[in-house]
Order: sequence, then structure tokens, then C-alpha cells
Amino acid sequence: MHCLVPDKLSFGEKLARLGVRLRDPSWRRYAGLLAAGRVLGLGALALIIFVGPHIPDILLGGSSAVAQTTAPVDPADAVKKIDMINAVNTGWVLLGAFLVFGMQAGFTMLEAGFCRSRETVNVLVECVFDTCVCGFIHWGWGFALMFGGGNAFFGWHLPGDPSKNLIFMRDVSMLDTYGSSGIPIFAHYLFQFAFADCASTICSGAMVGRTRFIGDVIYSLGVSGLIYPIFGHWCWGPDGFLATMGSEGNFMSSLGINFHDFAGSTVVHSIGGWVAIAGAICLGPRLGRKFKRDGGGPMLPHDLTIAVIGGLILWFGWYGFNPCSTLSIMDNVGVGRVATNTTLAACMGGISACFVMLALVKKWDTAAIVNGFLAGLVGITAPCYWVSPVGACCIGLVAGVLVIAGMELLEFFRIDDPVGAWPVHGVCGIWGTLAIGLFASGEYQAAGSSPFGVPMVGYKSAEALTGVFYGGSWNILAAQAVGSVIVCTATFASAMVMFGILNVFGLLRVSKEGEILGLDIDQHGISAYPEYVISALTAPHGMGRDTVGSGHMPTAEAAMGK
Amino acid sequence: MKMIVAIIRPEKLDAVQTALDKMQVHLMTASDVRGCGTQRGYSENYRGNEGYIRLLSKVKLEIAVNENFVDATVAAIVKAAHSGNIGDGKIFVLPLEAVTRIRTGETGPVAIGP
Repeated sequence: MHCLVPDKLSFGEKLARLGVRLRDPSWRRYAGLLAAGRVLGLGALALIIFVGPHIPDILLGGSSAVAQTTAPVDPADAVKKIDMINAVNTGWVLLGAFLVFGMQAGFTMLEAGFCRSRETVNVLVECVFDTCVCGFIHWGWGFALMFGGGNAFFGWHLPGDPSKNLIFMRDVSMLDTYGSSGIPIFAHYLFQFAFADCASTICSGAMVGRTRFIGDVIYSLGVSGLIYPIFGHWCWGPDGFLATMGSEGNFMSSLGINFHDFAGSTVVHSIGGWVAIAGAICLGPRLGRKFKRDGGGPMLPHDLTIAVIGGLILWFGWYGFNPCSTLSIMDNVGVGRVATNTTLAACMGGISACFVMLALVKKWDTAAIVNGFLAGLVGITAPCYWVSPVGACCIGLVAGVLVIAGMELLEFFRIDDPVGAWPVHGVCGIWGTLAIGLFASGEYQAAGSSPFGVPMVGYKSAEALTGVFYGGSWNILAAQAVGSVIVCTATFASAMVMFGILNVFGLLRVSKEGEILGLDIDQHGISAYPEYVISALTAPHGMGRDTVGSGHMPTAEAAMGK
Repeated sequence: MKMIVAIIRPEKLDAVQTALDKMQVHLMTASDVRGCGTQRGYSENYRGNEGYIRLLSKVKLEIAVNENFVDATVAAIVKAAHSGNIGDGKIFVLPLEAVTRIRTGETGPVAIGP
């Protein structure tokens, strides 16, 4: 490992080296630039943290100034509020948060496995950096925009308490719960951050192999800071217009039913999938990618072991994604049903995609099975609470066929989606959303689970959700279609604008030379498996180490011996 | 009999192979190689440690042909592997003393062909 920890310098030696370096004007310039950049960055961060929370006050006329003058919590009141925090449900939601966060490992491995080895480091760094950015942003304003009360389009304050500003969690006290769920805000934040992070990581899958890292960073900011929380608020916010759709005085009140998305087929997966395809369209295919109609096909993956294990980690994480979205383990019957439905849809998705591919190419295709069970999981995400196990099997079966069809469609339109993010998340996200209108079995409460116990509703009563196949009305399907179309269109349009702007400034795609050399070397300076190729830092003595720190590199002229 | 050794860009392998197929040259040995010519290399970084390497990935083709195929083969490789930029590679033509096909024991020009 001599290359990794070359020479251990003592503190004295480091000081001496600094002295030598400071005498070099070019190094002084470099150090000055670095220091200035850091000071600027810290200043900007401080500005965001200290001024950011006041922005809503400035815009909305000082609502949170009220909160600051509120008297300290009355002890009796505090006891009452602590009673409202439901410990077992909080534990359940946190378990979900940890499982869904674990899906990041799955996404990273799946994407790294399906890409070429020359862009593996880029995938790894992108996914991890994206998580860091998303965690901060979701605490900063993502959670407030999405789950805060406010208007039909975005939120900013604690639901039911306009005096408590959620931007940077400014006025959140330890006793505040999210609505009537009995979950403390910070447990709910963590759970929802993990979801937001999934949406933003999905996008990177279709953009592997040709995106500049700075472009990655900027679009991650856009997705987790604006696109996901705002469109998510429409569906999941306490007063989003799709969440309140169909009730008196709200959007499309004649429909009489609101938009349902239990765990995020639309909110997480459709948004992620449609941003992904917008990115793939704006970027164009990787250099040398030939499509099936031109006599080519997908570029080869470099490590199917990692890809398949990544897929299985995603499946495991889905047991947090769907069952924990009940936000209540008190609804124990519902939790078991959701977990079973999730499993069945995944199984049937894998089976059907595998057989469709077998019929097409006469081989038991690895990528088809993995993307098939992922498609089944995406498909069951929205309807998992309201369908029977048989319904879940049907949803999975259809999802497995749709994912293969989606991939063929992308080939036909010459869009390069290296891991199949759009067929899995975009297409099957829509399918799962619509499936509620078809397969909802009429036995389970339309409002979802209850924090206090198992909700009992009359079979096919007004409180239950009954799909067309179970003799229900077409209104549910219509509401689902309206919600899905609105969210997908809005996402695609805003993502196209975002990527278009990045493209205009040349921030989206790497140079041709960089792409041929591989994003790993071009953007990150190292290949994923440096010991398997001749490389500068593992070179024999005298090849690489000589140039360390000296800042000069051979020019083309020097290389030619001039 | 000649041995043609061509160093080409990795991304041109497909095009070169297609072009050679059209010239009735189907047999070749290809290897991943690293080398340096007039093209610049690139720098690597790991934990702030920087190194510069002037070796780039290339593909080496070794093609044994009979005399009457030499010019056509070289022309086909040049046409297919050409991009006009530094780093397109080189073609070497070497004399070939003897060839034996292991399966049949044939020797000489007849052992080269398909």
C-alpha cells in the first residue's frame, strides 16, 4: 500500500515543507486562491443559515416573529404533548428511515455494476455526494416546502400551527409532532429525507457516463431543493392540491375523491424517473453508443455481481419504504399486508420480466430479472395498502412486462439510459399509481392507516377505496390519472428547463476527450480498480512520485522531445 | 508472408474489425496495451497525492497476412482507425518467417488463411 500512504511526514517536516512551498510564487497563488474560496464558501453557508430562516418572514410579513415571543412551554401542556408522541410508532418510522437510507447502498451498487468500469468512481462519488447535499437541503427547506402547511403549491410552517416556521427547522420544539401521527418532527424528517434522497439518486442512473460532476451537483440541488419537495407537496403536503382534490371548494371537487399515493410511486419514483429521462435526453447518448435499430445495443455492464446485490439491497430497503409508510405499527394488520404485497409484486415482476426477455432473446437475462423485480416494487409502492395479495401479483406481472417495453421504447427513440432508470421508475411509477384505481379491493380505509389501531371500514363503503376491477367507480382511476399526468408533466417540463440551462452554460456534459478517457480519470483523477491497470500512483519508483507537489507536468512538446 | 502490428485507439477496434472483415481478413490477435507516443497523458489524484502518467490505453492488433493482402489490410486499418488527432496510433509491417497451423500441421502461406 505504498501508494496510498506514501511517506508519513512528521508535523515538523510538514511545517518545513510549508515554508519551502510558501517561497514558490505559484504555490502561494494556489494557496491564496484555495483560502479565498473556502472563506467565500463558509460565508455563503453562514448567510444561508442565518438569513435563510428569515426569508419567509420577509416574504410573508413576520409570522415567525410571533413564535419568538411565545411564552415558555407550560409544564402541564408539556406533559400533554409528550403523551401525544407515540413511542412505538416513532420507533417504527425510524426503522423505516434507516432501511430506506440503506437503499442508497443499493442504488449505488446497482448503478456502479451496470456502468462501465471507466465511470464507476463517478457513480460512487455522485451517489454519496448527492446524499450529503440532500440531507442538508431537506433539513434546510426541502421538508418545509414539502410537508409544511402553507398553500396548495408549497408549505413552510408546522401543519396546523402557522406561527412555527419549518425552514431550517427554526421554530421546531422537541415536543412538536407531525400532525396527528404522534411522530416527532425530527423522526419524520429523517424518514422523508431518505425518500427525497431516493428520488434524487434515481435521476443519476440515466445520466451515467457523460455528466460533468459540477452538473451533477447543481441538478441534485435542483431536484432535492425544488422539484421533489414542491411536486411532492402537491401529493403529500397537508394542503397540496392533489391531496385535497375532490373535496368541497378544492381542485376538481366534482370528482369526489382525492389523489392516492401510499408510499411514493408518483412522488418518489415518477419524479425521479421523469427527471432522469429529461437528463438523458438533454445529455444525448454516450459516445459510441449504438442503438438496436442501428445494429447496436446497450453498452456492457462491468460488474453484474455488484449490480444484482445492489438490486437485492434495494428490495430489502423497500421493506422500510412501503410498510413503514403506514407511519404506524399500531395498524399491525395493514403493515403485514403491505409487506406481503411488496414481496409478491417484486417476485412476479422478476418472473414476468425474465420470461418476456426469454421469449425475446432466448436467454435468462440478468438485467431483466433485476429490473423486473425493481419494476414490481415500484409498481406496488402506491397501491400496497389498498390491494389484496392477488392484486399485488397482477400489478407485479404487468410491471415486469412494462419495464422491458420501456427499455425497447428508449432504444427506439435512441435515448441512452444506462441503468434503465426511466423504464423502472418512470413507467412503472405511473403504472403503480393507476393500479390503485383498478385493483383497490374495497376492504381498506381510503385515508390510509391510523396511528391508534387497525382501521375498520365497511366493505366497499364510502370510506373504503374500491377499484374498477372490484366494482368500484371510475372516479378513483380518473383521480389517479389526473394526479399522475400533472406530476409527471410538471416534473418533465421543469427538469428539461433545468438541464437546458445547464447545457447552455456547458455544465452538463464532459468534453469528448474526458469521456473517452473515462469520467473517473477526467473528473475524479483515479480509476475504480487502479491496481489492475498501469497507473501513475502505483508506478514503479521514479515514475509517478517525482512529480508530486512540484506542480509541473510534461507538456506535449516535452513529450515529443522538443 | 508479413506480420502487421497495428496500435489503434480502443474505441476504433469495432470499426477496424468491420473494415478488415470486408477485406477478407478475418484472423487477428488483439490485446489491451498501454503505451506512449506523441499524445499527452493524464494526471491521477488520490487523497491529494498527484501523479502524472504518459501511458494511454491502446489496442494492439497482430495480423498475419500473405504478401498480396498487405497493402489492402494497411489501407483498411488506416481508413477505419483515422480520427485526425494525435494518438491515432501506428502500423508496423514485419517479415514473417514461418507459420504452422497447429490443428492440421500445415505450414507456409496456406496456414495463414481462414
